[in-house]
Amino acid sequence: MKGTLAWRWRHDPKLELWLAWVTIIVFYNIFGIVFFGMTRTQPPPPPWWDHARIAQWFSDHHYGLLIGFGIIFVMGAFAAVANALIAYSMRRMSVSPIFAYSYLIIYSLAAVPGMLLTCIALVVGAMRPDRDPALLGLLYDMGFLSFSGTMGIFLIGSVIWGIAILLDKNRVLPKWFGYFNVCNAWTEVVVATCCINKSGPFAWNGVIAFYINMVVFAVYTGVFITYLKKMIEREDVLQLSF
Amino acid sequence: MSSGGSTTTNISGEWILLWTMPVVWLIWLASFVAFPGFVHPMSPRMTAQEVSAFYFNPENLARIRYSMIVFNWFGVALIPMLAMIAMQIRRMAHRTPIMTYSFIGCIAGGPTLFCMADLFWLLAAFRPERDPSLVQLFNDLAWVTFTSQVPFLVAQNVFLAVAIYLDRQARPIFPAWVAHFNLLSAAAIAPAAFTALTLDGPIAWDGAVSYWLKNITIALWIVVMTVVVGRNISRQRRELEVAA
Repeated sequence: MKGTLAWRWRHDPKLELWLAWVTIIVFYNIFGIVFFGMTRTQPPPPPWWDHARIAQWFSDHHYGLLIGFGIIFVMGAFAAVANALIAYSMRRMSVSPIFAYSYLIIYSLAAVPGMLLTCIALVVGAMRPDRDPALLGLLYDMGFLSFSGTMGIFLIGSVIWGIAILLDKNRVLPKWFGYFNVCNAWTEVVVATCCINKSGPFAWNGVIAFYINMVVFAVYTGVFITYLKKMIEREDVLQLSF
Repeated sequence: MSSGGSTTTNISGEWILLWTMPVVWLIWLASFVAFPGFVHPMSPRMTAQEVSAFYFNPENLARIRYSMIVFNWFGVALIPMLAMIAMQIRRMAHRTPIMTYSFIGCIAGGPTLFCMADLFWLLAAFRPERDPSLVQLFNDLAWVTFTSQVPFLVAQNVFLAVAIYLDRQARPIFPAWVAHFNLLSAAAIAPAAFTALTLDGPIAWDGAVSYWLKNITIALWIVVMTVVVGRNISRQRRELEVAA
């Protein structure tokens, strides 16, 4: 019957697009549950703790870290679908394919320094609670600083998408979202302060370097997921040539 | 999807890349056997002193360094093979390039993470006078990165399987069993993600599931995919010769 899942799997001409969109929703939900709920690494604990307190944190979150990040190690790369769908949005725009390809390659790198390295450091910390606390402190710093390891990826990536949207004459995505991309790029400039400051609003758990950034990023993600959905709904189903 | 006038040349190029595979397999196998920590995988239960003694045992040190240098050179040789699979996805009867893009987005990830593990091993082996707890730290980083970093492999197997299921034409690019095989491989590789949970048993980094099942599956996947891609390329070559 038309409209059922089985019908859509067999006949929906937009199936590839919808599968990608649903994968993005599932990915961000699991990402949120793992980072905010299971591992309690978001919002991040403070950078100013001493080694004993950090060792305590690792032992308090032993299973949360090891199971939660295990889940990330299984499904972390499904984010590639989001990058693919965003790159596809740029292929529909009246701009050079260079924009789509640059974005796809830049964001394919993102997971390694910005997410997986964080998880690897914290997993290695959690696996041996009896390790020298000074080394646990090093792994803790390595983990939380790596969260901002994707500064350049989000900075340059957002600008590339933003410019493509502003140049586009096919009206694939709204112009204001192009400007919002530039805003999102700015948060990556502000977050850089966490590499220097160990306390206050510019530390990795600070009001500016974490909370404001997280709000902008969450709104940005919500907005682009909504607009990608509208793009798919509006799309005509002519055979495109790529 | 346009096929330009130079397709014949492209396919000859693919043929050369495909035949690099058996050569690369021999190099990988030789490095695998040469690294003293692989044939009998190192136990996560080793103390810092034991790990340090293992690295700086004169019988092991040179083998650790040279095998990891060779792995660093040739680990990346998997990428042309993955790019050839991406080209096969591109030929499928899809309406959008999304499956191709998703697959391409995963290609560099696996080899990059393997390079990181490789560097951690080389770092652990760098200075005999270093504090054994630091040697153990880098040994842990190496083994955890090597063992648990399966996300790109899992995702690319699933993407390839879905791409094959969506390739709805009279003569699909790959038979359906290749899709099933990819889903099974993803399932066999995935448990290694949880390796740090335990230092003993099948999930530990030297265990039956995280080490043997995962690595044998990866090796089998590479061989099977090389054969099915090779069959496609030779079929596509024949079709071009008939058309010419």
